[in-house]
Amino acid sequence: MSARLEVRLVKRLPDFTLDVAWTADGGVAALFGPSGAGKTLTLQCMAGLLRPDAGYIVVDGRVLFDAAAGMDVPPQARRVGYVFQGYALFPHLTVADNVGFGLRGRPQPARARRVAEVIERLGLAGLERRYPRELSGGQRQRVALGRALAIDPALLLLDEPLSALDAPLRQTLRNELRGVLGEWGTAAVVVTHDFTEAYRLGDRIVVYDGGRVVQSAPRAELLWQPASESVARIMGIPNVLHGTVVKATPDRIQLRWRGQSLEAVNSPTRSYLPPPGAPIAFFIRPEYVRLIRKDRVVADPRHHMNLMRGEVVLDEDFGTTWTLRIRLDEPGPPAQGAWDLEVEVPHLVYEILDIERDRRWEFSIHRGSIHVLPA
Amino acid sequence: MTAETLSALTLSLRVAVLATLANAVVGIPLAYVLARHRFRGRALVDLLVTLPLVLPPTVTGYYLIVLLGRRGWLGAPLYAATGWSIAFTWYAAVVAATIMALPLLVRTARAAIDSVDRDLEKAAHTLGRSEWRTALEVTLPLARNGILAGLVLAFARALGEFGATLMLAGNIPGRTATVPLAIYTAVQTGEEQAALILVALLTALSCVVLVVADRLGARAA
Repeated sequence: MSARLEVRLVKRLPDFTLDVAWTADGGVAALFGPSGAGKTLTLQCMAGLLRPDAGYIVVDGRVLFDAAAGMDVPPQARRVGYVFQGYALFPHLTVADNVGFGLRGRPQPARARRVAEVIERLGLAGLERRYPRELSGGQRQRVALGRALAIDPALLLLDEPLSALDAPLRQTLRNELRGVLGEWGTAAVVVTHDFTEAYRLGDRIVVYDGGRVVQSAPRAELLWQPASESVARIMGIPNVLHGTVVKATPDRIQLRWRGQSLEAVNSPTRSYLPPPGAPIAFFIRPEYVRLIRKDRVVADPRHHMNLMRGEVVLDEDFGTTWTLRIRLDEPGPPAQGAWDLEVEVPHLVYEILDIERDRRWEFSIHRGSIHVLPA
Repeated sequence: MTAETLSALTLSLRVAVLATLANAVVGIPLAYVLARHRFRGRALVDLLVTLPLVLPPTVTGYYLIVLLGRRGWLGAPLYAATGWSIAFTWYAAVVAATIMALPLLVRTARAAIDSVDRDLEKAAHTLGRSEWRTALEVTLPLARNGILAGLVLAFARALGEFGATLMLAGNIPGRTATVPLAIYTAVQTGEEQAALILVALLTALSCVVLVVADRLGARAA
């Protein structure tokens, strides 16, 4: 079975070139990357609001655009629902008229039925005669969704659907949006620069950077196997570090870093086998570093994998977790400015271990928590 | 009020109303196109429309004679074909007032159209609307107050037009002498009272127009 969504686009602008290709198998594809990476440009091309210089756009086998074949379906005929950043609700129309805006071709009774159905399903009942300015942020989002979904689109495009909202509301609406997308089952593309959002909403995440796709993968795969150091950095992963390869086999990589000998899991599927002595990038998730309790066992390299020793030089309270910056007991400059590793511990652990007073720790990292980044 | 004063007043109102209508028909599409489209000659069109705002009205009037006069570029063929010329008729007053008022409407309306969020238009496109339908259903309704304010200003300008009207339509009492021209004549011939009545009327009208335009502008913002 071919992919439901096939996108290949080249668009040259005076100071920017978009050159991307990706596919998705239905569900939700999240276009993730920094601002100005070309994500919104991609959406506008997919909706037909902007004409690419080359490439194609195919939705469920239906060609919306194909430069080589001279095919360009106008936006009016694409049946693509677009939820704009800031929603772009028509301020001079009521909720019902906004939702029904795309149904003009249908006979009045059918139109009214569809509007009522959409309003009901999105929990907007009772707000039919309100104007957009009289709605809350969450209600506006649902009206924008309803307006786009009312036309029964073959594809739904959402541009930063949560960026117009306050932080507390954003989390609620992210879950609500995920529910709506799942329930309606429409293939969707969501643009976001927030990785949590991309991960929560997307079944597949397409990582954009500088007008190119640097990785496209199912979300779990992306989380644990970023394709490169630059992808890891775009994702905002802490503790992206550089070491030297000692020995690489298909399922293990031994490396040296800051005077330590570390063992990491290699991915057999990736078969990444750098030669000994080669530089290697890897990352360690801060929440997977284990501090060793001093009251229990004596730290022992035979029991504790990748054992290290260091001092907490800085700690920050993030409400439910503490972030510790640890400097290893090794000569030479630390890997990340004033410290080597960022470690995240829950509040409870911070209190039980009395980290506020006790700053010197031994800690270990399971080999499965050291992720190698292919060059 | 004398018959001449009265005729000046009715003529002025008729000219201003027709010039405003002509402005609506020509100016609103022009403002839309200037705001929303990039095309060759756009800067030139913009310049030509705006020029009457800064040129001395007599200069604009001179160009209108060159264009529409009995020996003008357009006027000569018309005269040759029909034996009629627009010059020194009250239609000429309408043309002069239209041209003089046009920049006020176009500039105000264009600013209002410019301020309409383009995403709204794009949304309308994805929801099946052609550009034409989008303009009618989304852009122009949302720019309505700005456009109305522009029309009010255009009306005021048309009502007060003097120089270009004098050049193209002349100052023929009862036929082309609008209120501003009648005021001039009245002052020249020492009819103080007639002048005073007309001056007071125009001043009052202008005040009303400014207040209305201001209210509309405030609501548009």
